[in-house]
Amino acid sequence: MRRFWVILKKELKEMLTWVTLIPIILITVVYGLLGRVINSEQKKQSAPQPVAVVDYDKTATSKALTGILSGVNLKVTTYTDGEVDEIVRKVVAEKGSAVLVIPQGFEAGIGAQKPQKVQTYTIMRSFSLLGMTSSIKLDAALNAMNQYVGDQYIKAGAPGLDPAIVRNAITAQSFVTVGGRSAEGNPQEIVGVVMQQTMIIPIVLTLVIIMAAQMIAASIAGEKENKTLETLLSTPVGRGSLVTAKMMASGIVALISAAAYMVGMKSYMGSLLGGSGGTSSASGQAIQQLGLVLDLRGYLLLGLSVFAGIMVALAIAVILGAFAENLSSVQVLITPLMMMVLLPYLITMFVDLNSTSPILKWFIYAIPFAHPFLAAQYIFARNFTAVIGGIVYQGALFFVFATIAARIFSTDRILTMKLNTARVGSSPGNWPILRLIGSLFKRHK
Amino acid sequence: MEQALVVENLKKSYGKFEALHGVSFEVASGEIFALIGPNGAGKTTILRIVSTILQPTSGNVVVYGMDVQKEAPRVREIISYLPEEAGAYKHLTGLGYLRFMAELFAADTATQQEYVRRASDITGLGDRLRDKIGTYSKGMTRKLLLSRAVMTHPKLAVIDEPTSGLDVVAAIDIRQSIRRTTSEGMAVLLSSHNMLEIEYLSDRVAIIDNGTIHDVGTPQGLKAKYGKANLEEVFVEVVRQ
Ligand SMILES: Nc1ncnc2c1ncn2[C@@H]1O[C@H](COP(=O)(O)OP(=O)(O)OP(=O)(O)O)[C@@H](O)[C@H]1O
Ligand SMILES: [Mg+2]
Repeated sequence: MRRFWVILKKELKEMLTWVTLIPIILITVVYGLLGRVINSEQKKQSAPQPVAVVDYDKTATSKALTGILSGVNLKVTTYTDGEVDEIVRKVVAEKGSAVLVIPQGFEAGIGAQKPQKVQTYTIMRSFSLLGMTSSIKLDAALNAMNQYVGDQYIKAGAPGLDPAIVRNAITAQSFVTVGGRSAEGNPQEIVGVVMQQTMIIPIVLTLVIIMAAQMIAASIAGEKENKTLETLLSTPVGRGSLVTAKMMASGIVALISAAAYMVGMKSYMGSLLGGSGGTSSASGQAIQQLGLVLDLRGYLLLGLSVFAGIMVALAIAVILGAFAENLSSVQVLITPLMMMVLLPYLITMFVDLNSTSPILKWFIYAIPFAHPFLAAQYIFARNFTAVIGGIVYQGALFFVFATIAARIFSTDRILTMKLNTARVGSSPGNWPILRLIGSLFKRHK
Repeated sequence: MEQALVVENLKKSYGKFEALHGVSFEVASGEIFALIGPNGAGKTTILRIVSTILQPTSGNVVVYGMDVQKEAPRVREIISYLPEEAGAYKHLTGLGYLRFMAELFAADTATQQEYVRRASDITGLGDRLRDKIGTYSKGMTRKLLLSRAVMTHPKLAVIDEPTSGLDVVAAIDIRQSIRRTTSEGMAVLLSSHNMLEIEYLSDRVAIIDNGTIHDVGTPQGLKAKYGKANLEEVFVEVVRQ
């Protein structure tokens, strides 16, 4: 038993180094914060959402129904006249989330036990998961209205009442509004199709970036571990060629796997969300009308953004790989990069950047891998400045990291740089990263 | 005679630790020059600087008239470096490895093939060259790497502990290979702690300890100077002073 403890102690000492602990601490802190952010976003979502009711009927019934809407946690503004299009545009500008139109003759129709149609406009600003909630709210509102009308019928107790009309007196003709444009279609279905298009990108991108980064870092660390790097560095191969070739190889493999994932994911997501085969042609038309498909320019911008993201990841991975002394340390070294990739993915899934706090927004923008995730959303929203700005930012970061990587490879740091594997208990001070940054741009004579 | 290598007042620090405190020596072309010294003396550090993969903190290192820092790419064309405990790509066959390395040095396919042919002869591995390097013994790998290092007719070969970890027979084999190839005019800078090997192999020897060269001379000259029967005793005497 004593020998067992000796081994256990040795293993723990080896594993509990600052190199392994710091990523764990970072992950805990960052994801803890993330949880709180998402929590507060959800609270924001559960605050009453502003909607507008256009009441052309102006009767007791329509007023009662408007009152019901306030009951299902909606902040209602009522309009009694004006063009629907005008009002919708106004509500869009005022950041409302939906418009409900009650047509003239509504009360009379209800009284005559005829099914009535209202029009709903769901205003979409983001295609994150939370962005869908407003259309779900509208459904709830419609249900409450139907229940109210049904109750009225039952109370009146008219003979020969059609059960169908008791249950479903009001049906909705639903429209979706994106930007200034509206088109008829089922909001859930449209969101589904758009998500299918945009959600694949971050999932695939996350996998690809992590894979590419791991491959290149492992290839550098592997050359160190197998003691082939020194030989390679003494051959006439230019240091630039060496780094670029390694980056390109990982990039090519990453792109091939990206394509493979894309095909696989598309059919998987298709089966989840109904797929384009299951989409009604009405929704298909609406998506076209709303400009929610990527055209050539859209694909080009998206492709550029994704490519830039991969390049930034590769440049960072080269630097991280240079710190690794062997293959087993690659896993740990790559963790910060993985977090940087996963964080914007998780946040943009749950948080609508348009409505979030500016600090969080710029924090997300600062992460280079957020931009490919956001690109599709911004392209749909016709916000090309943001997309191009993101690509330029990624390009600048790539330039910075590639310069640092080239510097590491063209000096002897590629061989002498090591992570401080000091055990916990000794100070994590004199972090090699800080020393590296300090010394990197010092002039060598 | 033309100097293959001139090292002048070379200093190297790793962080605050100074590993070399001003080392100077010269190697003539066609000469085998050995650095001998205990563990941690700074031998590998010198060889790495000469091979352009470490940068000196101060001092000059010139290979055939070219500065190793300012003209590193040109120096790399005419030297070859065999690191201590060097490895090869395990998924490649011996032949595949030679082809790969030859392609890095050769300007055209004909030259590449010539390099590979030459290396295959020197290895003496025969058909085993077609096996994966992962299946090789330590001695076989070392022979492969040494052949690789000399196949390009380098004007200066830098070899760190040519025979460490090898049995007597394999070591003699390697020494003979080195001897044979220098007869073609190649200069060799090597390091070792094996004094017998050095005596057999080297034209001149530098005794280095703690980052300082204590004496330089031919094995015979050093033995005569200190009145000792072999290099080992000379070494102990010099280091003690
Ligand atoms: N990357 C490094 N970082 C810090 N110190 C180093 C590094 N490489 C070598 N040293 C130190 O420099 C000194 C000289 O090392 P070097 O490897 O040149 O010795 P050596 O003579 O080759 O020894 P050996 O015979 O054991 O191979 C040693 O004290 C060593 O600890
Ligand atoms: Mg050594």
